[in-house]
Amino acid sequence: MKKLEFVLIALIVFSYGCQKQNDTRIHVREGVASDTLGSNVVTRPVAHAFSALIGEGIEVTNAVTRMSDAGFLELYVNGNNKSYKTKRFRYRVEWLDADGLQIETKTSVWLQMSAMGKSPFSIKAVAPRKQAVDFRMDTRKWE
Amino acid sequence: MKAKVLYLITMVCILAAGCAQETTMIDTRNDEGKSVMALDYRDFDMAASKMIQSMLGSGALKKPEGDRYVVATGRIINDTTQRIDTDQLMVKIETEILNSGQAVMTSAIGSGSDELLHETRELRNSEEFDQDTVAKRQTLIAPELTISGKIFQRNISYDRKTQQIEYYFQLKLSDVKSGLRFWQDETLIGKRGSNKSVSWQ
Repeated sequence: MKKLEFVLIALIVFSYGCQKQNDTRIHVREGVASDTLGSNVVTRPVAHAFSALIGEGIEVTNAVTRMSDAGFLELYVNGNNKSYKTKRFRYRVEWLDADGLQIETKTSVWLQMSAMGKSPFSIKAVAPRKQAVDFRMDTRKWE
Repeated sequence: MKAKVLYLITMVCILAAGCAQETTMIDTRNDEGKSVMALDYRDFDMAASKMIQSMLGSGALKKPEGDRYVVATGRIINDTTQRIDTDQLMVKIETEILNSGQAVMTSAIGSGSDELLHETRELRNSEEFDQDTVAKRQTLIAPELTISGKIFQRNISYDRKTQQIEYYFQLKLSDVKSGLRFWQDETLIGKRGSNKSVSWQ
């Protein structure tokens, strides 16, 4: 009996260790990719329930700004949806001038964004004025 | 008897006033109101914001010599079931083009033209006006670029109780001399809701 347990554990460990790591640029989603130890028909509901219980959501990893060829400030926000569920939210980017004052523009409105579960997402925004040197971004739930 | 009737009328009036729907101002900056099947100001704000960012970000308005382009607004076709004033979209876009400092809009020609520009030119040779203050011939500047576009909708039956309405906002920026298209984009706003809701207003 102990032998059987040992074989089973060894098999699990072996199969987990042999699992091929995909190219990180390609996201093979759950249900499409092969099941893993942490994501199979038995553990999946537990993982989903735990994720919901601890309230996983959107995480912003970095925000990069650069000047475009046309001379406008461009903003790229990269992040991850840690939750298993698709997260829909709204965001608004406001542009600031060299004095830190907000520039009134017609582009600073609430826009929609959607990030699928356990997936990365990117937001791009372009300042419509050349005076823009910085930004601030706000988010809210998509009702 | 009279007092009773008077009392009843007063009570009905007070109750009716209490039941009346209160008018409130919309918080247009942070509107948390529900979406509607028809196009509302939030949809125009969103479409305009995306279009402006796309146009300016593309660099299509950057003139090689560093000058500013003269842009005319062409026809924006409303091919929806709603009575839309397409200025609701175009004024936002024109404002941002102007404020970007990369181009100027012309009021001499196109859908954004100002009739008075032409009327004031009819004052030439009028004895009532100082001719030095009347615009001379060949003073108007012709546009170098034009913006035109279309807003159209598709109604799709999603299921027995639900309909899907897709609104497409399409804009293109063309060079007048060469006829070449410098930029174009499309924004889709999709709504799904009850079959009972109407999108034509």
